[in-house]
Amino acid sequence: MKSIFAPFGWLALGVLILALAMPLADAQQPRDSVTEEQRLLTVLQSDAPSAQKAISCKELAIYGSGKAVPELAKLLPDPQLSSWARIALEVIPGEQANAALRTAAESMQGQLLVGVINTIGVRRDSQAVPILIGHLKDDDVEVASASAVALGRIADDDARKALQAALATVPEDLRSPVAEACVLCAEARLLSGRQKEAAEIYDQVRNAEVPMQRIVEATRGSILARGQAGVPLLVQSLRSPEKKLRQLALATVREFPGDQIDAALAKELKVAPPTRAVSIIQAMADRPQTVVLPAILAAARSDNPQVQASAIDALRRVGDESCLEILLSLATSDDPELQQVAKSTLAELPGEGVNNRIVTMLSGSKGKQYPVLLHLVAQRRVDAVPQVVQALSHQDPVIRHAALKALGQTVSIDRISLLIDAVVQSKKAEDTEVASQALRAASIRMPDREACALQLSKSIPDAVAATKTLLLEILAEMGGEVALAQVSAAAMSRDPQLQDDGSRLLGKWNSVDAAPSLMRLAVSGPSSKYRVRGMRGYIGVARKFPMPESQRVEMCRQAFEKASRIEEQKLVLDVVQIHPSAEGLALAIKAQRVPALKTDATLAASQIAQKLGGKAVDVASIMKAGGMKPVKLQIIKATYGADGVSKDVTAVIQKSAGSLPWIKLSGRGYNAAFGGDPVPGKVKKLIIQYVMDGKRGTGSFEENAPILLPQPK
Amino acid sequence: MSRKSAAVAVPNGQPTRRQFLKTSAAVTGAAIAAPTIIPGSALGLDGAVAPSERIVVGGIGIGRRGGYDLGCFLQQKDVQFVAVCDIKEKRRTAVKKQVDAHHSNDQCATYRDFRELLDRSDIDAVLIATGPNWHATAAMTAAKAGKDMYCEKPVTKNISQSLILADTMRRTGRVFQAGTQRRNLPHFAFACELARTGRLGKLKKVYAHPAGMQAMMSGWLVPETEPDPQLVDWNMYLGPAAWRPFNKKLLDGFNFEKGGGLVGGGVLEWGSHCVDLCQWAVDDCLPPVEYNAPKDGELVARYENGTELIFREKGWIPLGSCPVRFEGEDGWVEAGDSGKMVLSSPELLAGREVDEIGGYPATFHVRDFLDCVKSRRQPKGNAVAACNAHIACHAANIALHLGRQVKYDNVKHEFIDDEQANRLRSEALREPWRL
Repeated sequence: MKSIFAPFGWLALGVLILALAMPLADAQQPRDSVTEEQRLLTVLQSDAPSAQKAISCKELAIYGSGKAVPELAKLLPDPQLSSWARIALEVIPGEQANAALRTAAESMQGQLLVGVINTIGVRRDSQAVPILIGHLKDDDVEVASASAVALGRIADDDARKALQAALATVPEDLRSPVAEACVLCAEARLLSGRQKEAAEIYDQVRNAEVPMQRIVEATRGSILARGQAGVPLLVQSLRSPEKKLRQLALATVREFPGDQIDAALAKELKVAPPTRAVSIIQAMADRPQTVVLPAILAAARSDNPQVQASAIDALRRVGDESCLEILLSLATSDDPELQQVAKSTLAELPGEGVNNRIVTMLSGSKGKQYPVLLHLVAQRRVDAVPQVVQALSHQDPVIRHAALKALGQTVSIDRISLLIDAVVQSKKAEDTEVASQALRAASIRMPDREACALQLSKSIPDAVAATKTLLLEILAEMGGEVALAQVSAAAMSRDPQLQDDGSRLLGKWNSVDAAPSLMRLAVSGPSSKYRVRGMRGYIGVARKFPMPESQRVEMCRQAFEKASRIEEQKLVLDVVQIHPSAEGLALAIKAQRVPALKTDATLAASQIAQKLGGKAVDVASIMKAGGMKPVKLQIIKATYGADGVSKDVTAVIQKSAGSLPWIKLSGRGYNAAFGGDPVPGKVKKLIIQYVMDGKRGTGSFEENAPILLPQPK
Repeated sequence: MSRKSAAVAVPNGQPTRRQFLKTSAAVTGAAIAAPTIIPGSALGLDGAVAPSERIVVGGIGIGRRGGYDLGCFLQQKDVQFVAVCDIKEKRRTAVKKQVDAHHSNDQCATYRDFRELLDRSDIDAVLIATGPNWHATAAMTAAKAGKDMYCEKPVTKNISQSLILADTMRRTGRVFQAGTQRRNLPHFAFACELARTGRLGKLKKVYAHPAGMQAMMSGWLVPETEPDPQLVDWNMYLGPAAWRPFNKKLLDGFNFEKGGGLVGGGVLEWGSHCVDLCQWAVDDCLPPVEYNAPKDGELVARYENGTELIFREKGWIPLGSCPVRFEGEDGWVEAGDSGKMVLSSPELLAGREVDEIGGYPATFHVRDFLDCVKSRRQPKGNAVAACNAHIACHAANIALHLGRQVKYDNVKHEFIDDEQANRLRSEALREPWRL
């Protein structure tokens, strides 16, 4: 089986290995591990350049076995290849790799030894523990640090004992990695249910002279390892003068189990200074199942504006109907910021009883609270139509408008006539705009779209001109059979305004079922302007929407035949390019016969042909059938590259060339066809020198462009 | 990292709360999962930021994408940017100039080795916008140094790194935000919410645009003269990647060692955005358990509950780059970087306009991170979410590379009875780097 690297030809070029971009749009064939391993080992055993050996190491990570270990181990002392060898050694299973790494750990030094130790840590080789313990005393701090962390990853009892002992004795510059390793040991115990052991280790680190971040990690572990008994330490950390410990405590609150911490936080909130109270409230609210709500509610009445604002915001997540009173009071206060926060909290206030309470309050509401409640009805979609209808006749336009908006969000189909009447028979000019918006909002959310559309349609004849436009726009937005029929009828009517509105809206229709109406408008619309709208809308449907390809092609054919202008025919060519098919290709080839379309059609045909290349479509036959004439073609030379670096791809082009001026490459894109990317990160060009029908020509093609060779002059 | 070039200008730099509140009053009136934005005055964002409320930030690897992120950070009044590290001298100088001009001082320090920057106790958080070769290693080094971080994507090179990343952030208690800014764009959030809350009915298929299903690998080019490390530090550039000689063509950090091993790149570049959104749409459940070989431009993966995650190259409604589509039994929604959405029914919009919901800028994501640095909540692009999305991408890449189906066990974190696939879960780091 071939190597994925073999096609590049760099083997013959010596040291050059290219960065690869391997198109894998479709599945590759699986490769046999034994064969691959042998091939790669042959490379490692040869005089191949380091570059080639490096990539072989990388492949051995997949295909290597214990058999590959000796050759890989030989590379560990090589500064250039050590890291490549470890890529394989780190993942090859089995004792052979462990043994080789242990041997290396006893014989190497410096940075390369650090790498070997890191790999031992990743492999969690407990047999290496004595060697690593020995390296804890290495003069090289990096070696000693790596050994400590590797021991932490292995985390067996020998490693743990050595690390705990070292924590008290190692020089200052080693304490941090040793503490990090201790934390890893503790975590391993915590995960395996040995909480007491874990807590002891965490506490040792917490009380050691180590960097604050290590203390932070140990404190978190110590709190969690103790379970509910960790609450006092968590509260103590919340009060810490150390910012990082306070931060840690706030984060740990959010992951701490049970409800004891909630009671402790509520108690702490009473004594915390405002700056800390703000954060504690937020942390409390992130525990919605067990939060002590009265504590947050009390904070919402705080004299301190920051604490108050934080509490109001928190109620958005954990409040209930018991919070309505205070929130409504704040929503109508004189402080704009508090007002805003309270309103947003009210809109989202959780709790089953909130909506019922709003309905009850609405009945007797007045003053500033009235529009706020109506606004809440709209935002929360509260079923309170009878109460809202009462507000429609209120003398204050603010109340009426709030009521209209609320109806828009809540009215059902059996009462939508309220809004239709408010629009069609509007008696107060200042209400018209709001009523229109409300009707629109109600109509598009109505579950029975057709029934709603029918009611709107019936009201059109009685409406004034501007309202007719509005109603048609709403219908268009709703979609559906009734709406489509109404808008189509408007487009074909004798009323100039309805023609304009109808054709405009039909042209933007958002579903495939508008196609027949659009074609009717395109063919027999009342004016050329509207016929163009119809045709463009029809082509847009073919372009935008999912449909069987046969249907799309048929639509394109129809559009191409019926279109009276070149502009729309070009749009059809765009569609067949975007959705390539054999039939679309035939259409593009046919379009080449129209002189004004020749350039666009040729480009489209070429693009489609290229896209169809991999889909078992006999593109050449279609092109010939469409009228593309065979030529006598000889490829002289072809190169592919950029910035003065190129590769010779003559053989590939010669193989791909046939009796047409169009060349189809195998694979997806130039890089795939030409066996790799010669200049990664750059847009490359393909240059082809050829002789066509006895005349010499040169073609230059941007990366991945269709290859259609120009006829030489 | 997406190369979206949309302007990031945000009037007054504080649009987040209002826009998200608008978004949040969504579908049923109940909560859409908008981030908690505490009033500015509560956390020191009211224009008079107290020194104690400032977040001191340093940048690591600030190139083209990093420059975009940096702009988002500098718009935030509570950010004090104090240091930049880059292996390229030109970039260090350029960023220092920009930052100093912004803060009207000359205090932005420059570093070649990011460990020196991390040693500074005054720095709270770092922006990691190196190439993907460095993301995971730098992020975990930063976490162990006690820094919170905003880290560009793709965040990890393989499955093992993804798991260790989530563990490390949990263990160290640090705030981690992946550069998956679409998690904080209102229209994508809205689309995901429709899927998560059942408004589309039982979810059947979620589609991600991989932007090409190619396995990429950076190799070993012909040696060139290594530049002065002061100008370009090749050793630090290679970092955790296996050694190879200097060649300037490899200095394209955006693509260098993306995904690292034989199976890198591929669906990872945009998958780490689009698959991440699909993960959100399926309520951030564990990654798919089955990945099939690609066929006709589609790679189909399957979640435990039968929902399909489909990496699809073609067939998108033109809604801009990085599109996603979620299909349920009762409806569908498709969204892209244009900020637009197309829905199976306008009813799903609950009376609102697509334009009203809105899209970019990515500043929202940076703001979410900074808020979480203060509150210690988990940001939208947290390490667990990033871990799951990246595992899905890496596993898909492994299926791509092996050319066959692979099955993944989310409990054991291994492929089932598949040694070849299991070996591709990790890759050794060059000495002296470790996770």
